[in-house]
Amino acid sequence: MAARRRHWRLYALGGGLGHLTRAAALARAAVARGHAVDLLTNSPFAPGLPLESWLGPGATVHRVDARLDKAATVAAVGAWLAESTPDVLVVDTFPRGLAGELVALLPTVRAPRVLVHRDLNPVYVERFDVARAVDAFDLLVVPGEDAPFMHHPRAVRTAPWLLLDADACLSQVEARRRLGLDDGDSRPLVAVMGCGRPEEVAEAGETVARLRASLTPHAEVLWLVPTPHEGGLTVWPALEVLRGVDVLVGAGGYNTVQEARATGTPLVAWARPRLYDRQALRLKAAERVEDAAELEAKVSSLLLHQAGPPRPSTWVNGVHAAVEAIERVAR
Amino acid sequence: MSPSFASAEQCQETSGFLFSHPCERGATTQCMRCQKAICLLHMRTLDGEETVCVTCARAADNGDENRDPSDTSDYDEDDPSYYYEDYGYYGRDAWRGSGSSSSGSDPNDFTEADGESVRREDDASFEEDLGGS
Repeated sequence: MAARRRHWRLYALGGGLGHLTRAAALARAAVARGHAVDLLTNSPFAPGLPLESWLGPGATVHRVDARLDKAATVAAVGAWLAESTPDVLVVDTFPRGLAGELVALLPTVRAPRVLVHRDLNPVYVERFDVARAVDAFDLLVVPGEDAPFMHHPRAVRTAPWLLLDADACLSQVEARRRLGLDDGDSRPLVAVMGCGRPEEVAEAGETVARLRASLTPHAEVLWLVPTPHEGGLTVWPALEVLRGVDVLVGAGGYNTVQEARATGTPLVAWARPRLYDRQALRLKAAERVEDAAELEAKVSSLLLHQAGPPRPSTWVNGVHAAVEAIERVAR
Repeated sequence: MSPSFASAEQCQETSGFLFSHPCERGATTQCMRCQKAICLLHMRTLDGEETVCVTCARAADNGDENRDPSDTSDYDEDDPSYYYEDYGYYGRDAWRGSGSSSSGSDPNDFTEADGESVRREDDASFEEDLGGS
């Protein structure tokens, strides 16, 4: 049953692509339910992504320049919040705001507040009194991973959130075509994800060169980038083509890992250091690599032993349960 | 110059706040205030010259340099952590479930894999480095 149209504001500040991806998944599902969604992002990838057309009519994306300093970013958040009063405000990951600015700004928002509650560096949780900040929210939605206050009385846990449902992803044949492989080409495909910090995007390119040197002509190695980058193949969202990928190489961020798990795509990943996210906790030992040689060995091993379990044809996308939970607290 | 340890003495600092447990790393130096043996991860430098443990550094941050680091008597019901002990993996249950406090079996507790992020706390980057997430 369609819900009454509500105005959502979605705060998704944070570096890299992860916060924006998770928020885009939620926004798309909310728009599909008929809601109007304003999404705030300062992802450095946001200017290059066709977010409005992908999210659908009813979505507005406010892109804050990722290069702004703290004061300017805080001012942009304040202006965005002051534009209008929504029926619900959803905040991704940071209950205090990325710059701590929501502590002062939230009391000015006369709308129910929802926190997308995820793991955070325990040092930060302790030092910045995150417990108190969490208590300012009417609902905590926990998107599929353990989080510090996941047993809070107002917390609701869902399956992991994904940008696309299974039926919106390409089949293996279609995905391989989309990635440029001919129908007669039976070589396995290794995809190296180029996202995260700028230096990590460049490192992904180096990883591709190394893997190509050792795997050509036995496998095709592609460098997938969300926005145009020299030498990379622009694909966004990558989830759409994962059924065509035999081994995925990336980092241990939320979206890469959950997309690989949902699609059953073998993953080889670095645990990248992050200020708040703990990627090493997310990765399994079999997935995690410490250096380039180990990465090369694991990729080669996975290609040699491709007859693993059949890959799932469908999955539960937690965004739908999240949208329903948020609808229940919206005005 | 802070004293250094060549011995295999264990760090006497604790990890975690709501369910603290002894650090299992080897000590490399000694806190110049409370004389506790500490590892590199639990070492802080005050004013560029005084090597102290995390507890003493925190007390100094709070302007409460005279406070006994072992005194936790002020954790009362006004402290949000009092209410949140059962709300997540910082909870009392998780602490109890991990058996011996030094077993290190709680998968959500600090691990070696947290080293990078723990080291970053020295950067004072939280809520300052807006691209660091």
